[in-house]
Amino acid sequence: MNRREVIKSVALMFGGTLSAPTLMAMNHWEQATTPTTNAAAFSLTATQQKIIAEVAEMIIPRTNTAGAKDVGVPAFVEMMLKDCYSQPDHQRFMEGVTSLEQLKFLELNEAERRGALKMMEQQTKEQMKTPSKTVPFWRLMKELTLLGYFTSEAGIKASFEYVQIPGKLENIKLKTNQKSYAY
Amino acid sequence: MYLNIKATKENTFDAIVVGSGMTGGFAAKELTEKGMKVLMIERGKEIKHVQDYDTAMKQPWEIEHRGKTTLVSAEERWANSRFWGLGSEEVVNHLTNDKENPYVEKRPFDWIRAYHTGGKSMHWGRQSYRWNKQDFEANAKEGIGIDWPIRYEDLEPWYTHVEKFVGVSGQKEGLDVLPDGHFLPPMPLFAPEAYFKKVMFDKFNRPVTVGRVANLTQTQAIHTELGRASCQYRNKCARGCPYGGYYSSLSGAIPAAMRTKRLTMLHDSIVAEIIYDDQKNKAVGVRVINQHNNLVTDYFSKIIFLNAGSINTAALMLNSKSSRFPNGFGNDSDQVGRNLMDHQLGAGATASIEGFEDDYVYGQRPNALYIPRFRNWGNDKQTAYLRGFGYQGGASREGWNRGVAADGFGGDFKENLTKPGAWAISIGGFGEVLPDPNNRMYLDPDKKDKWGVPLIVFDAAFSDNDRAIRKDIVASAVEMLETAGFKNVTPYDRPTHLGLGIHDMGTARMGRDPKTSVLNSFNQVHDSKNVFVTDGAAMASASCVNPSITYMALTARAVDHAVKSLKKREL
Repeated sequence: MNRREVIKSVALMFGGTLSAPTLMAMNHWEQATTPTTNAAAFSLTATQQKIIAEVAEMIIPRTNTAGAKDVGVPAFVEMMLKDCYSQPDHQRFMEGVTSLEQLKFLELNEAERRGALKMMEQQTKEQMKTPSKTVPFWRLMKELTLLGYFTSEAGIKASFEYVQIPGKLENIKLKTNQKSYAY
Repeated sequence: MYLNIKATKENTFDAIVVGSGMTGGFAAKELTEKGMKVLMIERGKEIKHVQDYDTAMKQPWEIEHRGKTTLVSAEERWANSRFWGLGSEEVVNHLTNDKENPYVEKRPFDWIRAYHTGGKSMHWGRQSYRWNKQDFEANAKEGIGIDWPIRYEDLEPWYTHVEKFVGVSGQKEGLDVLPDGHFLPPMPLFAPEAYFKKVMFDKFNRPVTVGRVANLTQTQAIHTELGRASCQYRNKCARGCPYGGYYSSLSGAIPAAMRTKRLTMLHDSIVAEIIYDDQKNKAVGVRVINQHNNLVTDYFSKIIFLNAGSINTAALMLNSKSSRFPNGFGNDSDQVGRNLMDHQLGAGATASIEGFEDDYVYGQRPNALYIPRFRNWGNDKQTAYLRGFGYQGGASREGWNRGVAADGFGGDFKENLTKPGAWAISIGGFGEVLPDPNNRMYLDPDKKDKWGVPLIVFDAAFSDNDRAIRKDIVASAVEMLETAGFKNVTPYDRPTHLGLGIHDMGTARMGRDPKTSVLNSFNQVHDSKNVFVTDGAAMASASCVNPSITYMALTARAVDHAVKSLKKREL
């Protein structure tokens, strides 16, 4: 089979977006055992949901186009965590949420919030140097926010030139400020 | 024994084909077109071309988990989800529920299955390369396995026959290592790939060509008369193509066979046994279990084609014991289930490309670039291993997902991700795997599935030769990308097992001697010549090129021989 997937895997490799569902598949090779699902455990309090929503909106804010909250990213992130990630990922994610909760993130002003996320970004880079089967909160939050936003109907249509049926394949020259095609 | 004569008559055909995938479909097409009344038996559910491609026209936001594997899918499809992307809900319902269809891994084996009309032909990568002359001669020259009973020339007209029907897009290159075929116009290489091609030729004298792929770049009457249209460059082939833009059993062979009005299809029906008649000294039919109600029905025919996929075909043979064949049908040689081969996958290198900022692409190419084998070919001699590998890969501009690993967030970050990123390239090797009788699958003596059929046990692994090839796949990929001047060249080598290449083959090999092989030069079971095996099981070696087109050519050739032999009353 593909080899069509080569393209997909290029994307995976370059985005560095190998998160749990992909890693899960890899683990199967290593262990050759049936995975145990652990879907039940994940839930967020109302405060935690608010923190997720605010962080998502800071990653993809409303500008002249829709933002993360407008297109439902917060609920998407929660749904993805429940449906696609298992307990070790949940635990790692909750470590991040809890630390923001302890920081009283929702009570911080815009600049302070930005500073908190910048700090988290740097910490994440350090943590990612140690190989692990799970990814830190910031990385997963960012991955799911971008995925949720850039594959949402409003997100795609506002961000890209969406072409459902190209009908042809051509080498072309990029025009100034041309947006990416999305298919 | 009570015989229901009427039922027997109703259940009797000229030919039975077990399996509706890549080779079963082709066998049914060829047999019906030659006047045979055919029963094709598929173990899985029925899928109708176009109307049952339920995700084909879904927009990205209509795919709930956006391509990620859910925990439920990962558990139900525990084997299928080992392959990139197959756990996604874009395709997952068209792949076998491994939990309901378990197998045993004495040593790990990545068994990718699609039990439904058309089988894996719905999901294949569509890369279509002829074997070269040496591929058929290498075993004999090197003393590996057994000699093929045929040569390139035997298969050549059948390659052409298949290519015309299937529709293969490609560039003629005039290379001995990768014989040209009957091609539709090639797809383009992208700007950095064209540059890469030139450097590889100048620096290494290694050709690079665009993939030869079973997508219609220009339809011919042979395609349109079956309702097939040109590729729309959506690159969503794995979901099933509502345009019939790529070849599958569903878009091509089955409609062609149905058109003759001589094809009967049976779904949800597991062929559990080949019925061998000790009085007549021949196979007379098959015993079928209905998936849903477990009813057992016998079907009869003059000839039988086994096209269940190399592993299930071998399992069916092993499960068919008679006084003539106490070790399993056609298994006098004890080779059924042995010599299990595949191609190596999951090793290569990636790099980022500077420049070409003005170059972009409209449309999505359902294809890759191809670098034919250059090792142990011509003047190249490797001491560490026999045979070689080819590469598939390609360059593309990074999309929004480059933002995941990058620093930053906020308005500018968001805006930046709406533009194409830098070019990046990846090439991955397809390495030849040598036949080894100790790499095998067999039937579990105790465990059975819910239909009472023994579970399949895998006991196979890569050899030293395979590992040496893999090492060079990575090293040569790095060398080529660095020589091209690309940046951040990064090798990758994922831990994999046999099976992940989804090119499982070799479990009922062709050969000249019944003592060491299962099939003769026309894919007939030695000592039971009205039974033909023309799926991957028949392969005596693996080459390093994608095998489907070779399986189909073997199938068409075997059908031709079968029908001629029937007419001469030799079967």
